[in-house]
Amino acid sequence: MRIIVDGTPVEFAAGDNVLGAMLRAGLRPTSGGCLCLGGDCPHCLATVDGIAYVRTCQTAARPGLIVQSFPDDGYPPLPAGSTREPAVTARNIHCDVVVIGQGAAGRAAAAAARQAGKQVVTLDASAGEEVIGIYAGPLVVARTAAGMLHAHPRVEIIVATGAAEIQPVAPGNDLAGILTARAAEALVAAGVDLGRVVAVGTPPAGIKVEQAEGELLRFEGTLRVAGVVMRDRNGSERRYACDTAVVGLGMQPRDALLRMGQGLAVRAVGDAARASDMPPCPLAGTVCACSGVTVADLESAWQRGFHELELVKRSTLAGTGTCQGMACMPHVRSFLAARGGSLQPPFTARPVTRQLTMGEASAGSHHQAVPRTALDGEHRRLGAQMDRIGGWWRPWHYGNPLREYWAVREAVSIGDVSTLGKMQVSGPDALELLERLYPTRVKSIAPGTARYVLMLNDRGYIFDDGLICCDGANRYSLTFTSGGASFAELWVRDWAESWKLDVRILNQTMALGAINVTGPLAKELLARAGLPNAPKYMQLASALVAGVQCRVHRLSFTGELSYELHHPAEHSVVLWRQLLELGKDLGIKPHGLQTLLQLRLEKGHIIVGQDSDFDSTARRVDMEWAVKLDKPEFVGRQAVVRTNKVSLDRQLTGFEMEGVAPIEGSSIHFGSEYAGYVTSSFTSPVLGKAVMLGWLRLFDGKLPDAVLIDGRSAQRVPVPFYDKAGGRARV
Amino acid sequence: MTRLAAGPVFERVLTTRIVAMPAALDAARWPAGHVALRTAADEVLITPPLADARVADEHAIVLADGSFFGGWIAPALALAVLERECEWEVPHARPAFAQGMVAGLPVKLWLESERVLVLVAAPFAHDLAERFVA
Amino acid sequence: MNEFVERQISLAWNDPKPAYDVVIVGGGGHGLATAYYLAARHGITNVAVLERKYIGSGNSGRNTTIIRSNYGIPEAVRFYQRSLELYSTLEAETGRWVMHKQKGLLWMAHTEAGVRAERSRATVNTLFGAKTEYVTPQQVKEICPQVDITGSGVWPVMGASYHAEGATARHDRVVWAYAEGAMQRGVHIHQNTAVTGLQMNAGKVTGVQTNNGPIAAKIVVSAVGGHVTTLAAMAGVRLPIRTHPLQAYVTNHYAQSFDAIVASMNLLFYVSQTARGEMLIGAEIDRQPSYSYGAGHHFLQSCSHRAITVLPFLRNLRIVRQWTGVCDMSADYSPVMGVTGVDGFYVTTGWGTWGFKAIPAGGEQMAELVATGVTPELIAPFALDRFARDRTMADRGSAGTH
Repeated sequence: MRIIVDGTPVEFAAGDNVLGAMLRAGLRPTSGGCLCLGGDCPHCLATVDGIAYVRTCQTAARPGLIVQSFPDDGYPPLPAGSTREPAVTARNIHCDVVVIGQGAAGRAAAAAARQAGKQVVTLDASAGEEVIGIYAGPLVVARTAAGMLHAHPRVEIIVATGAAEIQPVAPGNDLAGILTARAAEALVAAGVDLGRVVAVGTPPAGIKVEQAEGELLRFEGTLRVAGVVMRDRNGSERRYACDTAVVGLGMQPRDALLRMGQGLAVRAVGDAARASDMPPCPLAGTVCACSGVTVADLESAWQRGFHELELVKRSTLAGTGTCQGMACMPHVRSFLAARGGSLQPPFTARPVTRQLTMGEASAGSHHQAVPRTALDGEHRRLGAQMDRIGGWWRPWHYGNPLREYWAVREAVSIGDVSTLGKMQVSGPDALELLERLYPTRVKSIAPGTARYVLMLNDRGYIFDDGLICCDGANRYSLTFTSGGASFAELWVRDWAESWKLDVRILNQTMALGAINVTGPLAKELLARAGLPNAPKYMQLASALVAGVQCRVHRLSFTGELSYELHHPAEHSVVLWRQLLELGKDLGIKPHGLQTLLQLRLEKGHIIVGQDSDFDSTARRVDMEWAVKLDKPEFVGRQAVVRTNKVSLDRQLTGFEMEGVAPIEGSSIHFGSEYAGYVTSSFTSPVLGKAVMLGWLRLFDGKLPDAVLIDGRSAQRVPVPFYDKAGGRARV
Repeated sequence: MTRLAAGPVFERVLTTRIVAMPAALDAARWPAGHVALRTAADEVLITPPLADARVADEHAIVLADGSFFGGWIAPALALAVLERECEWEVPHARPAFAQGMVAGLPVKLWLESERVLVLVAAPFAHDLAERFVA
Repeated sequence: MNEFVERQISLAWNDPKPAYDVVIVGGGGHGLATAYYLAARHGITNVAVLERKYIGSGNSGRNTTIIRSNYGIPEAVRFYQRSLELYSTLEAETGRWVMHKQKGLLWMAHTEAGVRAERSRATVNTLFGAKTEYVTPQQVKEICPQVDITGSGVWPVMGASYHAEGATARHDRVVWAYAEGAMQRGVHIHQNTAVTGLQMNAGKVTGVQTNNGPIAAKIVVSAVGGHVTTLAAMAGVRLPIRTHPLQAYVTNHYAQSFDAIVASMNLLFYVSQTARGEMLIGAEIDRQPSYSYGAGHHFLQSCSHRAITVLPFLRNLRIVRQWTGVCDMSADYSPVMGVTGVDGFYVTTGWGTWGFKAIPAGGEQMAELVATGVTPELIAPFALDRFARDRTMADRGSAGTH
């Protein structure tokens, strides 16, 4: 069995990890430095199967695995490709207790929890289950061979991750051939020949070593260690020649997960709960191999006034690399304690403790689901260009927007408006609720009629618009914009609850489809569909249309005769097809959103969120008629009264100009002064000129009449631009 | 992303939807053979739909509703998908009702020992079919 | 030897004095830049900056280091353009390497509405001096070859605005460069000094209470992040500010080959490569209440998923660290700078997710206000009283921004 290291096959034995196989073959990792074989140090990193920064000591060898060393002179390259690899999957487990680590302490903790009748999930890094973080929930996220594991413990998390060995800091500590005591024991057990071994500090068990006495001064050698230089009690140096140096310098708890889980039910057992041994203040050498930080860098930072541990970390970059401070933190703390006289607490622990790829991080996530109306398939079959609009998939156009436009203006057209927010409100306090919510006199909306309304927040700013339809005593249907519906529902429910009103509220946005039948021949089409006496302007009727039970709203957003047919969404397709069939010889065509936006612009109707802004008052959008201040109470009233006392600074207004319309967002100037910008624009086929809505500043309390838009002359004009008398819409 | 495994067939599920005072819904009894999903304190969803649904609330909103998609599937398949796609803990009792985000979709579940009803609002039917597969 | 280890800046600490001419509360970028410009431009050096923890410990050290001026309203474009210009000369001004690098910022649109917004942004930017142009998907590919303009077949790139002057700098170094420059000119900076109260006399601020005792001051400037409403409330000033969390993460280090800053309006992420080679990924906060990105793991999961959709090469990069900052959002999503109505008490706040990029201009302008007592023209539109005067500044260009 062989792995491929830098292009060369390397034999491995069953149970080997990648690093073990490499060391057995006499290879060494690029970086040098003291190897721990415990997943703590950053010295065995390589690119494995295309993923850089993999700890080879934590990676099981398997036939054909491709291992690449890092370049000597820099970082590994960013992957170039955009391979569509299969997504990593996630698995969720719900249990009582998660035990992280399966050494003696972890096994005992798991057994005790099981004994107490708890459901226990154990995670063991040595079995390839690496915990990358603990999050609120609580949630334990681990990488396993089978994908990501998301464990949700009900009771507690037990951290039994053991302790890490402290790394040596001395000149030459970046040479190869330096091992921690545990690493040496593991390699010897795996049959790796360490040659002549010198032990510094606590010696490894069961290995024949020469014990180096005194204080560690430096490691010597080129690329690989050849000797360890110590200073004895009398101050004289002694060099111990060796093939391998093994260090036993004490332990620090692997407690990052414990510290990360502050505020959650997390506790540590065994060595993970122990206090850290403190190494002596380092004198020279590399402290942080990840970021290439030396003791001299620490000294320099201290001399220049960087004394807080976090400032030292940020300025020297010690602890900001792959191992996130596991190797350097005891030394940095020891250094600062020696200089400043007090031991500072460790760096803040944050995810991730063991690294994971972005692909692994994304496991269990999906693209935002964008809802589709019941007519989605119809639109696509008709060749519509679909777009995500207001949180829904909607047809932008069907290939020829101009033909759609003329169908509405001269014949008849249908459009899918199923995405409108739709809500029913009933109950003894239904009228009371709506009176308090809306700035219109709801009481005067007669049963069987509808009214256009603005919705104001408590700052008096418009956040949505729609209709109130009265279905009878204390029964109302409300509509909202497509994009605003989910917020509007929360808004209605929240207020109803906080006022403790007796109402029933049903969101029907997804239950009801809606088709807008619009154009001068709309009435004819409905007559053909079985509705000879369609309701009059701003009235409602329940009726069968082409055999489908509909609520017919007579209104107009396009400026032409229009009927909105609200119906159970399961019948949308039948109704849609029937209408297209019945209107064939009338020149019927479906219209998309693009055309609808253009048609309404010719009528000067605003789109909340496109023309208005989140700080638009009714006065600013020139719709004060929609806000009845003689009503004693409604949401936003106080704010409207207050802002009305202040002079107006800008207003949404209509503009016309010759030629082709400038793009939306074009600037408006009054002489040489900036005066505003265009929010909606369109070259009107029926008017033969450009029509626009835009924000215009007042100059000396007045809106200028003649302005420059995109450098061309334009006139401020009242809206609507088209059919000013409204005869076409109200026939 | 294409998945080769064929998923369960989901179709439109007809229900009776009632919004009423919680007390009226608490007191209501539904005929045998119907599953009543208490989706909110003031709302219940009954499938198959009732011919004549009544609750003791004159202001109740009672509607025939076809706005959900879904289907009955085998518990093994349901639990396999939920293990992968659901962060929250599904109730262990049977029968049980549960609702929440599953695979990024607002899903309602009715769990019986021999079968599981999975529902999603019709506009997400397309996504449900793509995501609720073995 | 790592060239990115800081080896230049010296910080000289002093014992606190009982009184200063000016006390600045908050030792982040804005507070320190204000102190620096007071000393460097106006010769006002009897100044103390009080920091609750260590300098740069708040949002100055937790942001995504992006510098840009591609805002949606003229006032904002002008202000941030000034900041962008000051940033481009900050190394010359302070003599310190802050790793400033012009990278260009691509802001991609994946819907018709997004395309309109980016076209619109390019127009208003160009008019007010910011270099932003609308670019096609093919141009996006030329600017950043790593972008999959099909958006994995799910979110195709339909267009983008390209803000050529978009840049990044190392956040900590900016903080320290200003701190050092201020200290060299006599400003005192006191760390681990939390302000616990404001001293008032006859409606005028006369100093602050701290955990280390009182400090008198003729002028107090609040440059606090996160706890700003608490401090202002001590002076009886109500600020229309809410605080949101903001999250980000970095990967390991890779050789430089991702030149631009890439953001997506619809997918709410931004990605850049730091000078040291880490890929830095953050999420926009979306003000639409329908969106919510839970803290922690859900953010990591969902943001990774969205970023990979358009930048598939990210899939195999390994993440090393994730963190959270906070952003103070004003009611109109524009900052609040200037007088408060309380004599001797000034405020600079509401820095949302755009505070880092505003540090130089914010500091420069606040210093001018403190020195002259007159609100400079550049920040006059950002005055606190705009909310009462109905002169709010809805800025769509800042929508979900960083």
